[in-house]
Amino acid sequence: MKRLLDILLGRAARPVPARQEGLIAISTAAITMEAQLGMKPQPIAGLVFKPMESVYFERASEELDGLLRIAVRETNSRYRLWSDAYGYRWILLEDPDFEDLVATLQAASQILIEHGFGSQLLAAVFRFTDRDGKPFYWIYQFKLGKFTPFAPRGARQRDETQELRLVALLERELPVERRPEHWYALWDLPL
Amino acid sequence: MRRVERWARDPGLTLRMVLVLAGLSLLYVVFVSTLIWSGLDAVSVLVIAVLLALFQIFLSEPLALASVGARILKPGELPRLQEIVERVAALAGVPRVRVGIIETALPNAFAMGKSARSATVVVTRGLLDLLDDEELEAVIAHEIAHIRNRDVLVMTIAGFFVIVAQLVFRFLLWGGGGRSDRDRRGGIALAFLVSLAVWLIGQLLLLALSRYREYVADRVAGLLTGRPMALASALLKIDGRIQRIPQRDLREVQEMAAFFILPPIRRASLASLFSTHPPTEERVRRLEALQRQLEGLT
Repeated sequence: MKRLLDILLGRAARPVPARQEGLIAISTAAITMEAQLGMKPQPIAGLVFKPMESVYFERASEELDGLLRIAVRETNSRYRLWSDAYGYRWILLEDPDFEDLVATLQAASQILIEHGFGSQLLAAVFRFTDRDGKPFYWIYQFKLGKFTPFAPRGARQRDETQELRLVALLERELPVERRPEHWYALWDLPL
Repeated sequence: MRRVERWARDPGLTLRMVLVLAGLSLLYVVFVSTLIWSGLDAVSVLVIAVLLALFQIFLSEPLALASVGARILKPGELPRLQEIVERVAALAGVPRVRVGIIETALPNAFAMGKSARSATVVVTRGLLDLLDDEELEAVIAHEIAHIRNRDVLVMTIAGFFVIVAQLVFRFLLWGGGGRSDRDRRGGIALAFLVSLAVWLIGQLLLLALSRYREYVADRVAGLLTGRPMALASALLKIDGRIQRIPQRDLREVQEMAAFFILPPIRRASLASLFSTHPPTEERVRRLEALQRQLEGLT
């Protein structure tokens, strides 16, 4: 009923708030990925969001920088910022401890959410490498609150078989999105 | 503190939409009552109309795509465009939308599809040539907002009785109504007048509703891309270009006017009351107000 009213009054297209539950599950899933499947978690992760031309957003960004500087001092991590060709901003975190990596990333996304910019969060990206050295990514989509698989191969190709396989295998540990029409690609990843 | 969600609200616009919808409902109640009271075979009229509406909702999409000469892009074709659409869709949290292109120099874009699950965003070659990536992204975000608000479906359903009124009016104008005896003549005359009124007033209300929904889509696009001025710039560019395009090109896209980002036909003499889209200056003005809100200058 509320949905119907939203559609009638043109409110259905309003920005979707970010969901964070389930993001942390990647920590334990990474252990399974490595121990059972030989997919090694890489000590790097990315947080990607759409910046807004707003003083309030700049304030949130400054606080985000502050948090990252503290995280760098207290843990063994490093970070760098990057803007991609689509006008999205990336925070690239490096940390040999995968659990710290996930925690810092979650804290960073939390800051944007607390400042009311959760709707600008696009994804958190975690990289894994299989025995042949081929990359596989779990992409946490903040709008869905779920992970989607991404196995890029060469020039704009993806290994759908591998993606389906990992969704099937990790389904019980990780909140995965089962509808493939949500499995967006993120080409030219900086990690 | 959900700042962006708060910025997305526009109570004035919501109120106007409520009023228009209430007006339409009232108009339709009057119309259907008159139809039944007049002794016309109201049931068969409605059955025909429902069939027409269902046809429009379920079969019109491929027809509409074909009628404007749109072609669905293959994977890997125009990758830049497809990736911009994918990013915006992911940011909005909607499943993959199809992307179509029309090979015409007229810069424009529209969205179609009854739900977010089967939606298509169509752009023209002229739009791709005219806009830079940021502006293109803003236009795509505007179309995706239309998809999420189900604007095609809402306008089709809201306009249902206007089409019925139009049908009844034409039917009666050409001497329909059968062998009317004296008792029924008054009813038929009333049905004739009421259908005409419902058709005209309903059309104006629908146009108002369509314009309000354009403002809503603009606002959402401004927030989604984080740069309201990118959309403003795109609108100004498209507008400036449209006025210089010869009429011949416009005709082939005429019937799609309601869903284009800017109406392909502009007549300076027509009041904005008769337009599916608000004037560009007003849309830009509203986007500027949104930008000021984002910068804390209200």
